[in-house]
Amino acid sequence: MGVMEKLDELTSSDAREYLTFRLDQEEYGIDILKVQEIRGYEPPTRVANAPNFIKGVVNLRGTIVPIVDMRLKFSCSKAEYNSFTVVIILNLRHRIVGIVVDSVSDVMELPPESLKSAPDIDSVIDSAAVLGLGSLGDRMLILLDIELLMSAPDMGLVGSSD
Amino acid sequence: MSETHQDSGGGNGDFDLTQFYQIFFEEAGENLDLMEQMLLNLNLETADDEVLNGIFRCAHSVKGGAATFGFADVAELTHQMESLLDRLRRHELHPNAAMVDVLLESADASRSLLARHQAGGEGEVLPTGDLVRRISELAAGQTPAAVAQTPVHVAAPIKLSVKLPHVAAGEAKTKSTRSLEIRIGPLERLEQADAVQELFRDIPGLGSISALPSEAKNTRLFLVETGSSDEDLLDLFAFHVSRDYIQIKAMEVSSDADNAEAVTVGAPDDPLPGTPLAPFPGFGFFDGAPGAPPTEATPDTKPASKAALPKAAAANSAAQPEAATIRVAISKVDQLINLVGELVITQAMLAQNSRALDPAVYQQLLSGLADLDRNTRDLQESVMSIRMIPMSIVFSRFPRMLRDLATKLGKKVDFVTQGEATELDKGLVEKITDPLTHLVRNSCDHGVESPAERLAAGKSETGTITLSASHQGGSIVIEVRDDGKGMSRQKILSKAKERGLDVSDQMSDAEVWQLIFAPGFSTAEVVTDVSGRGVGMDVVKKNIAALNGTVEIDSAEGYGMKVSVRLPLTLAIMDGMSVGVGGEVYILPLSSVVESFQVKGDAVSTVGQGSQLVKVRDEYMPVIELEKIFQIPRFDFEKSCDIMVVVEADGSRVALLVDELLGQQQVVVKNLESNYRKVPNVSGATILGDGKVALILDTGALVRRSRH
Repeated sequence: MGVMEKLDELTSSDAREYLTFRLDQEEYGIDILKVQEIRGYEPPTRVANAPNFIKGVVNLRGTIVPIVDMRLKFSCSKAEYNSFTVVIILNLRHRIVGIVVDSVSDVMELPPESLKSAPDIDSVIDSAAVLGLGSLGDRMLILLDIELLMSAPDMGLVGSSD
Repeated sequence: MSETHQDSGGGNGDFDLTQFYQIFFEEAGENLDLMEQMLLNLNLETADDEVLNGIFRCAHSVKGGAATFGFADVAELTHQMESLLDRLRRHELHPNAAMVDVLLESADASRSLLARHQAGGEGEVLPTGDLVRRISELAAGQTPAAVAQTPVHVAAPIKLSVKLPHVAAGEAKTKSTRSLEIRIGPLERLEQADAVQELFRDIPGLGSISALPSEAKNTRLFLVETGSSDEDLLDLFAFHVSRDYIQIKAMEVSSDADNAEAVTVGAPDDPLPGTPLAPFPGFGFFDGAPGAPPTEATPDTKPASKAALPKAAAANSAAQPEAATIRVAISKVDQLINLVGELVITQAMLAQNSRALDPAVYQQLLSGLADLDRNTRDLQESVMSIRMIPMSIVFSRFPRMLRDLATKLGKKVDFVTQGEATELDKGLVEKITDPLTHLVRNSCDHGVESPAERLAAGKSETGTITLSASHQGGSIVIEVRDDGKGMSRQKILSKAKERGLDVSDQMSDAEVWQLIFAPGFSTAEVVTDVSGRGVGMDVVKKNIAALNGTVEIDSAEGYGMKVSVRLPLTLAIMDGMSVGVGGEVYILPLSSVVESFQVKGDAVSTVGQGSQLVKVRDEYMPVIELEKIFQIPRFDFEKSCDIMVVVEADGSRVALLVDELLGQQQVVVKNLESNYRKVPNVSGATILGDGKVALILDTGALVRRSRH
């Protein structure tokens, strides 16, 4: 196909690209444009009186960045810290945050038509933050609005003055 | 600016002046500010010649620049101001309050005219006709004192011709127009003379000019009717033609007697027709001209005026040093500070990694690192001080504002400042000015009573508003104090109840005062355009909170009120002491650390509710166990907290219980809240030499915590 046609296809279909990662047995996808970088895990400096899923803060080339362990937040069965543990550094509009996940896989392009709305299940994840469910073959991908999720008050990142 | 017009005799159409606009606007703004400051400080009885000359120079500079850049409206207004100021500095007139008022207003008008030009010339043009009229009326007015002093000047014959028009004006007419014959030449480019003609067209009130036939091919002759002095005309023409090529001859003087020497100074008529003119020896009333006492010398001939030099003069000259300065964009300074911050981190890392080295083997390396440490420290101090400017910059706008406000409200207010030399970061200065302005206006409007009320209350007629700034610990404290009527607890409580706020009569005074920060709160009976609408105080509090500061109010009904604003000095780099607790490292600001000692079990005594006190010499102070506050997990039970570090903040001391003192180093303060939220008892974070993050403790918060 010519370049112009390809571009047309992209813009008309409005497909977004999602970075997929795994938390325990579940797979999630987040908008790739919000991802700044992917790093290995290093023990952060603990911050007092923070919820248990906020591990602390790390130094990211001169900026202090809080680290949230999503496995603890979503009450996964286990959360290990080994050489495979990955930290995704997110660049959301007002802040930079790192989230700890079990592993990261590909970047998927999903057209909006292929997304199905998520059933309203009472789960740890706020349903407002779930954009939909995508499927790749036989894998189910839970697409998250990561910005909404991280700004939620129960995430503990946003102070009362914000 | 004043040098440029000597060179631009070649005409200013040759090169693009717009590149210099920005510099002109900035300098003109500074000159107008300086002029305003000097006008406000002018002692009307014993006007200091230095000050008068200084004010004159400011107006002159602005006029020069405005004329060069073609801002005729500003040039004309400042030209008028200059005429009045010239008379004042020659002691032909005595300064009075009306003159100061009109000059201040004219400075304001000039500022807004310039602002309009800077914005591209859009918007309404401020009419200056009224100001011009008032200035010329004042300039023509006479007082006995002025006339009495002129005989001293008349003694110098050269001066006579200049004096005459002024004296003439003083005697009978409000305006004296003189007819002058002005010869300009020899010129290489006769367009320069045409430009002079245009001046008369562009500057209203300057006079009229008509060309006369001239004998020589390269000279022009003009008949000019003007009310301006010769010196003024020469100044003005100098933008186009150098003074050396201009000859002014008065045709007639529109007043009486002894004007036989009406011919303006300078070379006699001999060289005139036809012969190429050598540059004249300058005109008599310039410095260094043959036989003429320089203009500036006249003040010396009247020692009486200099007799009672007020202290203000000395203070003024101290306050206006001829400092060499350079303009730098703020972004460059910020970049510099960032880079120095990174340098400090790198240097700390080197210092840390070199600790393990054997001093004997690596002696040179280690001494080099020690030098690096010193150099970095010095560099950092210098760079930080670039951004620090003295509070006097903030304070400078208040005298004028209060003067106008007090006059408008019919009150008498004295304005006192303390601690002008206290420095704070430039970024803070801009943000603190608005809240402070509001607080000062409040004090004037609601605090200080009218003179009648004050006398009735047994106070002096004139109220005092004091603005002070000082460093306390790691903060800067700015106070606005007045001796007015203070706040009425009763009124505030009833107003609060009226508005449905949750208040009770048992609230402490401090809590009641805090109520005025509620949005829309105001107990003013009358809403003036100054204040009273209730939109001020909550904005003040918000602005100050945005700077991580606090506002406290103290008031005594009938006596006055004090508002204290406390701001953290935003030091990007500070000296810190690192302490270890349970394997974690925390940083204390070195400026708050008083002492540290090892504690034995029996020195700590418990008071009710589990809080502990420790006795240090004769003082008991509360103990704060960092382990508990920060819930630090302890893994190594061999170690225990047995070192106390005494810190002082907010006026009190507490002792912090830690495991060990790790060291002292410069730390770069990183903001924790930019990506995370505010953590209690923590003021920021830093990056240690090993790349790890350490939290910086907020000693003020820790001290406050121990109080209750």
